[in-house]
Amino acid sequence: MDLQYTTEQKLLRESAGKFLAASYDYTSFQKISGGEPGWSAAIWSEFARFGWLGLPFAEEQGGIGGGPVEVAILMEAFGKSLVLEPYLSSVILGGGLVEALGSQQQRESLLPPLIEGKLLLAFAYQDTSSPVKAQRNGSNYVVSGTKNTVLGAPGAHQILVSAALGDGATAVFVLPRSTPGLTIRPYPMVHGARAADIDFGAVVVPEAALLGGNQNAADAIDRVIDSAIAALCADAVGAMTAMVARTVEYTKTRVQFGQPVAKFQALQHRMVEMKVREEEARASCLFATLSLAGPAAQRARAVSGAKAKIGRCARAVHQAAIQLHGAIGTTDELSLGAYAKRLLAYEMLFGTTRDHLRRYAAIISDPGIAAAGLLYDQARS
Amino acid sequence: MDLHLDPEDLAFRDAVRRFLDENLLPATRRATALTTGFINDPEVAVVFHRALHRKGWSVPHWPEKYGGTGWTQVQRYLFEAECARAGAPIYNGAGSNMIGPVLMRFGTDEQKKKYLPRIVSGEDCWAQGYSEPGSGSDLASLRTRAVRDGEHYVINGQKIWTTHAHKSNRLFALVRTSTEGKKQEGITFLMMDTGLPGITVRPIIGNGGDHEFNEVFFDDVRAPVAGRVSEENMGWEVAKYLLEFERGGNPVAGRVRAQFARLATLIGKKCPGDADIVARLGELGTDLDAMEMIELTAVSALQTGGNPGPVSSLLKLRWSQLRQQLAELAMDAVGVEALRWIAARPLYDTLQLPADEEQMLSVMPRYLNYRAYTILGGTSEIQTGILARSLLGL
Ligand SMILES: Cc1cc2nc3c(=O)[nH]c(=O)nc-3n(C[C@H](O)[C@H](O)[C@H](O)COP(=O)(O)OP(=O)(O)OC[C@H]3O[C@@H](n4cnc5c(N)ncnc54)[C@H](O)[C@@H]3O)c2cc1C
Repeated sequence: MDLQYTTEQKLLRESAGKFLAASYDYTSFQKISGGEPGWSAAIWSEFARFGWLGLPFAEEQGGIGGGPVEVAILMEAFGKSLVLEPYLSSVILGGGLVEALGSQQQRESLLPPLIEGKLLLAFAYQDTSSPVKAQRNGSNYVVSGTKNTVLGAPGAHQILVSAALGDGATAVFVLPRSTPGLTIRPYPMVHGARAADIDFGAVVVPEAALLGGNQNAADAIDRVIDSAIAALCADAVGAMTAMVARTVEYTKTRVQFGQPVAKFQALQHRMVEMKVREEEARASCLFATLSLAGPAAQRARAVSGAKAKIGRCARAVHQAAIQLHGAIGTTDELSLGAYAKRLLAYEMLFGTTRDHLRRYAAIISDPGIAAAGLLYDQARS
Repeated sequence: MDLHLDPEDLAFRDAVRRFLDENLLPATRRATALTTGFINDPEVAVVFHRALHRKGWSVPHWPEKYGGTGWTQVQRYLFEAECARAGAPIYNGAGSNMIGPVLMRFGTDEQKKKYLPRIVSGEDCWAQGYSEPGSGSDLASLRTRAVRDGEHYVINGQKIWTTHAHKSNRLFALVRTSTEGKKQEGITFLMMDTGLPGITVRPIIGNGGDHEFNEVFFDDVRAPVAGRVSEENMGWEVAKYLLEFERGGNPVAGRVRAQFARLATLIGKKCPGDADIVARLGELGTDLDAMEMIELTAVSALQTGGNPGPVSSLLKLRWSQLRQQLAELAMDAVGVEALRWIAARPLYDTLQLPADEEQMLSVMPRYLNYRAYTILGGTSEIQTGILARSLLGL
């Protein structure tokens, strides 16, 4: 067991924090979120320049070869600064799937432009009452159905879409956004990020658009989505950290009844609770991050447990932070409201807190798993 | 003891229902249902207020000589509950629940004659200028300065969080007329028109997207002394009397009950089989039953001439939390769809969708705006402090 950050990891945290503190303050957030397309191309090219867009990819793909810990460090910094750029949707989900499933040729054609900041991907996986299906038709597939909550889709050049094949297997297709029959219906979300519903109206797709071969993609999809959830957990930890720090700072300067309100014991206790939740959230997130590479059951338990635990912490923290600010906390004058909304989006995306509690509970109610601690024997798993 | 409504009360309730059926317009109901702020828009609510006024019901809780109804406490309770149930808006509480009762107690005959009828009819819309940037919970520290100059006060300073100042033609404000002695002793209560030269209103947008409150700046504003309530430097007593009404003027359980019923409907449509959500609804239902019972007990005490005790702070503490929890559960019931954001307000002018879809879009802004309930009118921390004294004698 080793739970210490390396020097390189500390450096990454520092440089990400420094860059974002200088270039991504609340005013820039407001400008970016209030305009179109809802993210900044200039910032995105800076991300490319720092190598962040290639952070999780293998060096032979042109990436940096970072792991989940590096991704979490970056995501925490994004959460702290309210970053809206489509890192999670394009790099973690889109790029992650291409790396996990794509043929060599697909990886070579998609990953380098993604890493250079020239290509944006989005992954449509959330099915609706008309789930997306793909039917073989000669050498083509015909894809139909509707996906919703497709993060980053409004700006994506290529859409990855999961589709049920007839035989119970799942496939992923890569489609240019201009593909005839594909309709992207964009909408803004409460926290400023953009998503879309996507209709696939009998879209005819060549076999070459299938990501990888014909093998069932379901396990890879699960793995990539779990990694996205872990990354989003880190984002939430960042946002929560900022909220706690700002609340402490504010109550130290807000004077009522002749003293800073931070002097009132009632508020001190609330803020200690907030801080404890932040620490718990950080710990849960680390558990999930370090479990991504583990066996599927351990991964699912850690990721769903963290998503749910952090969801509960996030809600308590954002509510207390608003309350302790008084009326100013209910406005957009301070960044506080934007953090609250970001945390609400965290709670709802990729399955709600309740969804993940159920998934977690189903795993942990096995007495064997319930008894086991977090440390495990890698060789035996 | 029993919980029966006697025949007169039942007949009264039916009469109120008939009135609502005939006078609460569908457009007003829809606008009220799609209101995402913590308070109704005056331009929506005034339409219903006028209908109430025609019937003589616009200020039921006022004494009859000022336009009230002379109803019993139980009838007032039923009226509020029926209005809420039917989805009726409330018009300008700052008029009928704040400045109205204050004028009845402290106003001169002239002031009563000038202002009360226009509250009854809904011609005037009032805003409350208490809070300042440096004075929230510690209201008595307020600094907006008023200096007597002949028949005017000259006012300089700033108010903040002034709800609907941009939609009100009148304002009552606490101003500092003396800096000597205790801070409570130099405060004066002044009424004025919001259109006076030197008054500037700047909007503040809530993080639920609604424009409800404002900053109000005073730059050498000349307000007539005739608008002063009570004596100079005696405003604190007036202010405190008003706060009693702000916190506990009207029966509230009916309003919360209506929100609860709307939530039950939403859950029935959206996720009836979701055991977690249904259990939480049940839990909040038991909270609400307890709250309604506490309020009914107070009503019964008043009805028989008794004193309800420190119940208004207790009710404010609980109803504000409960309204937040109901809005929170609505958001959780809708789930990820609640993230869809329509920025334009008001939603009832912006949206043209099936009623259910429109409701879904109001859930998130309402959740965000309702965080204000435990802050406005005395924060929960302040109410808790009051209860420590009044309930526990600490
Ligand atoms: C939606 C909304 C509408 C409003 N409308 C109006 C209006 O129309 N007119 C008007 O005049 N005002 C209005 N207000 C202002 C309202 O009265 C104040 O927000 C309230 O009095 C609290 O003051 P504050 O916001 O400055 O918070 P602060 O007093 O700065 O409080 C900050 C935090 O410190 C806590 N705190 C303060 N003192 C203590 C203590 N002694 N012990 C423990 N904790 C303490 C508070 O509970 C809070 O959590 C409105 C507010 C809101 C949110």
